[in-house]
Amino acid sequence: MDEKTINDSGKFGDILTINMGPQHPSTHGVLRLILDIDGETIVNTTPDIGYLHRGVEKLAENRMYHQFIPLTDRLDYLASLSNNLAYCLAVEKFFDLKIPERANYLRVIFAELARISSHLLWLASHALDMGAMTVFLYCFRERELLLDLFEIATGQRMTSSWIRVGGIREDIPDEFISKAYEFVEIFNDKIKDYEGLLSKNRIWLQRTKGIGVLSKEDALNYGASGPIMRASGVKFDIRKFEPYCVYDRMDFEVPSFEDGDVYARYLVRIEEMRQSNRIVKQALDALPEGPVMTDDPRVGIPSHEEVNERMESLIRRFYLMSKGFTPPRGDVYSSIESTKGELGFYIVSDGTEKPYRLKIRAPSFVNLGIVPLISKGHMIADMVSIIGSIDIVLGEIDR
Amino acid sequence: MNFDEIFGKLQSDVSSDISKQVQFGCNFILSNKGNFKQIIKLLKESFDFEYLVDVVGIHWPENKNTPFEVVYNLYSIKNKIRIFVKVFISDEEIETISDLYKSALFLEREQYDLVGVKFIGHPDLRRILMPEFFDKHPLRKDFNLKDRSWYNDVDEQNLGIKYKHL
Repeated sequence: MDEKTINDSGKFGDILTINMGPQHPSTHGVLRLILDIDGETIVNTTPDIGYLHRGVEKLAENRMYHQFIPLTDRLDYLASLSNNLAYCLAVEKFFDLKIPERANYLRVIFAELARISSHLLWLASHALDMGAMTVFLYCFRERELLLDLFEIATGQRMTSSWIRVGGIREDIPDEFISKAYEFVEIFNDKIKDYEGLLSKNRIWLQRTKGIGVLSKEDALNYGASGPIMRASGVKFDIRKFEPYCVYDRMDFEVPSFEDGDVYARYLVRIEEMRQSNRIVKQALDALPEGPVMTDDPRVGIPSHEEVNERMESLIRRFYLMSKGFTPPRGDVYSSIESTKGELGFYIVSDGTEKPYRLKIRAPSFVNLGIVPLISKGHMIADMVSIIGSIDIVLGEIDR
Repeated sequence: MNFDEIFGKLQSDVSSDISKQVQFGCNFILSNKGNFKQIIKLLKESFDFEYLVDVVGIHWPENKNTPFEVVYNLYSIKNKIRIFVKVFISDEEIETISDLYKSALFLEREQYDLVGVKFIGHPDLRRILMPEFFDKHPLRKDFNLKDRSWYNDVDEQNLGIKYKHL
């Protein structure tokens, strides 16, 4: 850890060690921070995690590839569709599959809606931590519309398990398109409402400006990805650098700011919501007709209609569901720009129907590593805004 | 700058033998315990691989000579290329790279905890996800899932949390 000199060191006597969490309303889950404080000033922070450890990576080694998809929902439970997508893209890399166009567009739509939904919850809880109750209620109002959209298409509001290896589970019902358009139309105005409440609010500025500053070099060195990296001036987005699905056909900007403080992270996420809204609109406009599941016999699951009509489809569906599929030997890594940062899956296959080793590169886990650095020298009350600004989800950190 | 160019320059700089492998669109450099840190350092300093994405430890009990494998996932934002450095090690010990990349502080701790690879020189090599009294490494292939004897060690009074490091 880099040493920073504390000006009032020794003024108040001994260093005091206190616990913040695991049961604390502003840690957003079961995060425990051991704070060494000198008066009100934080000298050192030690994060203690693992309270929600479920051994997901070990469970993956004892499960077929399809059976792991529901577990990915439980990692970052605020944007479960992004996790489904990251995992399925990694498995698809083994087979070099051609995914139908409609499925690709729907994947983009749902990944971006999940991003908006996750950022809305972040803004709501972050503002609530700072005492702005109104923003919380506004954000949850719009998030409710999104959860309704997820329910129409996937049948679940949060843990949807909807994206499959080779496509998506089922086509969307017709009412989804009109409701999605309704949301896209109103959402830009709603973002203006949030900005009106916060961006020039004097209390908000005092609580966020100059707090938790992370320099560009440190952001890279500590591997902090996603909005944190972009708030520190690194203009890196996997949607632009290693495009997956149909992001290379979408027209959108990657917001980045130089300040690297809590306020810059707020600005990045607000702008990302606006850009995601743009992407959803473009994808809805360009959504082609056609199948949503690949017809590749190695992994493509036949739909229920096909199963009812054709004997071969019934056999293939039964075979894939009961025995699974076997990718070739080798290692694969695939990552997406998730809501929190770079979410990657490193899968080692030994040629059987279960993964030999599966490593999840969880963005929140790596982002948590910057907390000791950026909290040094700040007040305990600023710790709340720092934890809020890095947007952690403990389901993903502890896995 | 593409993978072949980077590998060609690396090969001339690193004296010992290294090899490359392209698998399912991922670029791998196979190295050994002696030269992997030199390779990573060269990649960071000469080819702008400033971003360490991930560290993966894998247990191969069938390979008697090299039972452990560590994969470093590096990304160069300038060159837009991702390279994986694979190291096969004969025992559990490998040199840390946390002096080059601070993100390795957390990532190496996790692999030590779950796979049991010891990163020599890491300043704070403690368990991170499992409780501190736990003496096994769950992601090893010989870890018995049904063996719950470790649970007897849990102290009900303080829930098994022992703050040794404080």
